[in-house]
Amino acid sequence: MIGFDLVSKRYEGDHQALTDVSFQVDAGEMAFVTGHSGAGKSTLLKLLAMIERPTNGVVTLDGQKLNTVRPSDIPRVRRKLGMVFQDHRLLLDRSVFANVELPLIIAGVTPTERARRVRAALEKVGLLSYEKQLPGTLSTGEQQRVGIARAIVAKPAVLIADEPTGNLDPQLAMEIMGLFAEFQAVGTAVLVASHDLMLIKRMKKRVVVLDHGKLVADVPATEVV
Amino acid sequence: MNTVREPRRTPEPDKTRRTTPRHVGAWREHHFWSMSISWRRLAARPLGTLLTVAVMGVALALPLAFYLLLGNVERMGDALGRNQTISAFMKPGQGAGMAETAASALRGRPEVEAITVRTPKDGLAELAEVQGFSGALQSLDENPLPYVLSVQPKAHLSADDAARLVDSMKATPGVDMVQDTGAWRQRLDAILGVGARATTLLALLLGIAALLVVGNTIRVDIQSRAEEIGVLLLIGASRPFVRRPYLYAGIWLGLLAGILAVVLAVVIELAMAGPVGRLAAAYDGSVQFGGLPAWLLVSVPVASAVLGWLGARLVSARQIRRAATA
Repeated sequence: MIGFDLVSKRYEGDHQALTDVSFQVDAGEMAFVTGHSGAGKSTLLKLLAMIERPTNGVVTLDGQKLNTVRPSDIPRVRRKLGMVFQDHRLLLDRSVFANVELPLIIAGVTPTERARRVRAALEKVGLLSYEKQLPGTLSTGEQQRVGIARAIVAKPAVLIADEPTGNLDPQLAMEIMGLFAEFQAVGTAVLVASHDLMLIKRMKKRVVVLDHGKLVADVPATEVV
Repeated sequence: MNTVREPRRTPEPDKTRRTTPRHVGAWREHHFWSMSISWRRLAARPLGTLLTVAVMGVALALPLAFYLLLGNVERMGDALGRNQTISAFMKPGQGAGMAETAASALRGRPEVEAITVRTPKDGLAELAEVQGFSGALQSLDENPLPYVLSVQPKAHLSADDAARLVDSMKATPGVDMVQDTGAWRQRLDAILGVGARATTLLALLLGIAALLVVGNTIRVDIQSRAEEIGVLLLIGASRPFVRRPYLYAGIWLGLLAGILAVVLAVVIELAMAGPVGRLAAAYDGSVQFGGLPAWLLVSVPVASAVLGWLGARLVSARQIRRAATA
């Protein structure tokens, strides 16, 4: 579902963010990307979302090589992805419902179908009764759950998250990670960037470790202790 | 007709039947959503919207007011000029035969509506009605007045045609002099022509101003929504999708401004109707107040909506590119 094949990324100003990174994440698999800050976790996710383009190597998403995608087709690629951000990136002037609804509007879904699917997504993250509220009135954990509902409402094949629990206490963080595991269980490929090693160990999922832009370890779920 | 049973279709369940292809449905959903979200955003900022619409509306009402004024001056000129005849005085001593020959020569001209030949006797009788003349006239031995051809030109004659008619009258054998009492009408037409051109130019300039007002409003709006635009692009919205609500906002602003302009013009029309009516009464009620034609009242909001769309179009692509990279 997700593939990195000898991917390198050098930013302007000679900063080498990634060097020859190769790994795959299959459908129904969940993997953590970890490493110190600046190890290249965010860059990895940005390449998948086509916010950045690799300097070398091939990134594939759902069988599509992203190298050959034209700029006008980037939106179509992003619609295959659900993205969760550390700072949740919700629109604060619109209700929880309206925020979660956005990907479906972009996909051109009819209003009745939208309402049904938004409520299903909100129910999944346990926020059904909050649909009319503005995101600003919710707690950080709740806001992150709204962000997750928005990421999964259009049923993407791939879910990626960049430090989704960075601002949460351990209990809430565990709940959020539990949600990601549920989506993995229904066949979604999930890739989560996180530096929270305690949390990653408790999740018992595959772990990809980056160090200064190089892949230094790829630990299968069965070997995480 | 409902009793006739449809032939049974085996393979397709009802659910998959679609009246429109999927991409058309999505396209329609996008437009519905853009239309309603743009409207709701304008409604959410009533003061800003109202100001933009007011500035645009007043700018567009101004040429309409000029149009109204010009139209009515023209009608008044028409009404007053309707009975203005051009008189050709025959040379003294010319008889009825010469006058008739001249009259029939002029009757063939395309500019002429009708010609009456007034005999010296008619002229004398007219003069006799003027107070103070009757005594003087009785002391005359013979009638000194010439035959007069009273030419009624066709309505809506252009200044050139009228001048040509006067020239040909002067050149008609037996004619001594020509008195064109309607010359002021040509001058008025010329002035109205200047006014009409000025109104067109004014409408053009104010149209551009209206376009810029919408453009600027949309520009500021996009700037203030840079974050939202970034999020939309990140979750898979295309640039045309992001742009569409702003184009609709331009259309809404233009449409509202156009409607306001028409309302203002109608108010001006009603305010003018009274004084013009009194003026008409002073001229035997022969002048009718002319309002704005229906086609104009309909086309102003439409044209204004197009202006709004254009204004939004001009700024949105660039501003969204900026917001996306910010």
